[in-house]
Amino acid sequence: MTRSPFTNPYVLILPGFLLSAFIILWPLFQLGNISLSEVNRFGQIRGFAGFENYLAVFNDPDFYGALWRTLIWTFGIVIGSIGTALPIAIVLHEDFYGRGLARVIIMLPWAVSLTMTAIVWRWALSGESGMLNSALMGLGLIDTNIQWLAQSSTAFPMQILIGILVTVPFTVTIFLGGLSSIPDDLYEAARLEGANPFQLFARITLPLIRPFLNIAIVLNTIYVFNSFPIIWATTQGGPANSTDILVTYLYKLGFRFGKLGEASALSIMMFALLLFFTLIYVVLAMRGEKE
Amino acid sequence: MKRTWLLSVAGAALLSLNATAQADTLRVTVAEYSSKTGPYFEEAATAFEAANPETDVQIEVVPWDVLLQKLTTDISGGANADLSIIGTRWLIDFVDQGIAAPFDSYMSDEFNDRFFPTFLSPSVMDDKTYGLPIAASARAMYYNKDLFEQAGISQVPNTWEDLAAAAEKIAALGDDVYGYGMQGKEIETDVYFYYAFWAYGGNLIDADGTSGLDSEAGYQAAKLYKSMIDGGLTQPGVTSNTREDVQNLFKRGKVGMMITAPFLSSQIATEAPELSYGVAAIPEGPSGARGTYGVTDSMIMFENSEVKETAWKFLDMLFEAEWRSKFTGGEGFLPVNKAVAAEPAFADNADLKAFAAVLPDARFAPVIPGWEEIAAATSDALQTIYLGDGEVEATLDGAAEKIDRILGN
Repeated sequence: MTRSPFTNPYVLILPGFLLSAFIILWPLFQLGNISLSEVNRFGQIRGFAGFENYLAVFNDPDFYGALWRTLIWTFGIVIGSIGTALPIAIVLHEDFYGRGLARVIIMLPWAVSLTMTAIVWRWALSGESGMLNSALMGLGLIDTNIQWLAQSSTAFPMQILIGILVTVPFTVTIFLGGLSSIPDDLYEAARLEGANPFQLFARITLPLIRPFLNIAIVLNTIYVFNSFPIIWATTQGGPANSTDILVTYLYKLGFRFGKLGEASALSIMMFALLLFFTLIYVVLAMRGEKE
Repeated sequence: MKRTWLLSVAGAALLSLNATAQADTLRVTVAEYSSKTGPYFEEAATAFEAANPETDVQIEVVPWDVLLQKLTTDISGGANADLSIIGTRWLIDFVDQGIAAPFDSYMSDEFNDRFFPTFLSPSVMDDKTYGLPIAASARAMYYNKDLFEQAGISQVPNTWEDLAAAAEKIAALGDDVYGYGMQGKEIETDVYFYYAFWAYGGNLIDADGTSGLDSEAGYQAAKLYKSMIDGGLTQPGVTSNTREDVQNLFKRGKVGMMITAPFLSSQIATEAPELSYGVAAIPEGPSGARGTYGVTDSMIMFENSEVKETAWKFLDMLFEAEWRSKFTGGEGFLPVNKAVAAEPAFADNADLKAFAAVLPDARFAPVIPGWEEIAAATSDALQTIYLGDGEVEATLDGAAEKIDRILGN
């Protein structure tokens, strides 16, 4: 049988490759180019700079603070949202009266734009007229207003909580898909053998939704690591950069201070960091599956 | 062969169509000051198109927060408009990089004479005019007359000591009333400090070209603010209050005094008309020095514009008294045109008079590249001090060092 050159696998993936190259590789190349160049405030290249932009980022003390907070931010939200979403998904998977309504309520925050949610929270967290303070006062839990966004010790944990809240709907969706792929007869058989609910969860549910758990971890890590609106809308990384994560720091560097070279260098580093963590995780997860 | 011929005919037809129907497309990027900005410029565009039928004016309204970002990406991609509003403090970067075109060849003496020199001068660099002041404001002190009366204050504070004393009396009125509204978050956190800093004799950039923050004036002003925060004379949680947050507290009658721009007057007129307030000069320091912050936004023309003549015609129209008056009144800015200032609506406005009176003391952001970064370094230091996370002297010295590095010293 002679094979037509048009069915060569490389030819077949060519259109897809070109599309993704146009969307991903070309901007990446541009970014790399700018990061190695002297650029002016308006992104016009003025000469070759070597690794100067990278060194400038490494010499900025604010960079390390932002890096550390990015790790706390990412792990906090990913672990927090998975820990919250799993029980919610299990409850929503059960058949009960009003399940449709309950699912809609859980999914609703997803339908609202992230920026809008963040701005509503900025109002809710306002010290003088915020809903959160009046609710806590009404419940008798506090007797003076808490200035939530005035210092990072209260602002950053609140931002992580908001992050968890907006990540839960997406994670629940993934888990619901996973749960519905588990055949009911497995549970029936286990129950006949006398398994208790905890055993059902640990021996059947958890192992079988593991691929879905992996997807949730990888996708959420990527989204959260690069998530900008919550922190920007509530504190803009302040006060005194104490709630900055890498993306907000990057935005200030690029568009406020006009250091597009350094901002590009930082973007490349962030891309590499994210790629590195994702690859490690994928390799670990796949090895686990093979065993 | 046949196909190329067809294509070239089609191309030529398209070109000629373009030439006859639309000679010029004029693109204008404007910053959104309020909900009135977009409609105002659309109306101006329609009026201009009616007078110049062969021109198509396209207005792009951009929120202030993302204006610089949009301009940066547009310019780097070569897709910028022909005219744009910018903050005058950014102008030096536009001039240094050859992005803004000078207006001098178009400006007649008559045109020049329309403006108050105070507002035109910040956009003059190397004897050339690169920007026309589209919006101008200065800052003055707003005070709540009812709270003053309740606290038994008969004299509007004239010095910072008076202000602190008045704030103390007002704060004593109750738990949810505060003496001096203090901004500590986001844009212009640094400026809110300069009001006191200038009064104590400070300079943003000293004569030797280094930062003036690490001076006696800086320490005194910062200590004054910090003592007011610690003494409960300001609203709590200063570092979570933007200028708008403090203005909202003022509108609700919860703050005795605050310093801000003329547009608060027009906001009070629509949102809190029953509020009884007055406008006075920013208090002076021990030596009698005082300073208010003057801000202008400029309309610039891009060097790479291909329709400069048309662009200038549009500007000439915008800066006529009729269109200026409409804009200035609608947005609540200070008149930059002499003719507009003489109109009864502006000349008889008590609040605007108070602002006009402080103008001789107005200082503008220094014309230096990297100003935004310097402002951010200053705001960071102030937030550290307000939160009590750092000593006044050490924190300001550290900020001054950082600013000196940005200045290239």
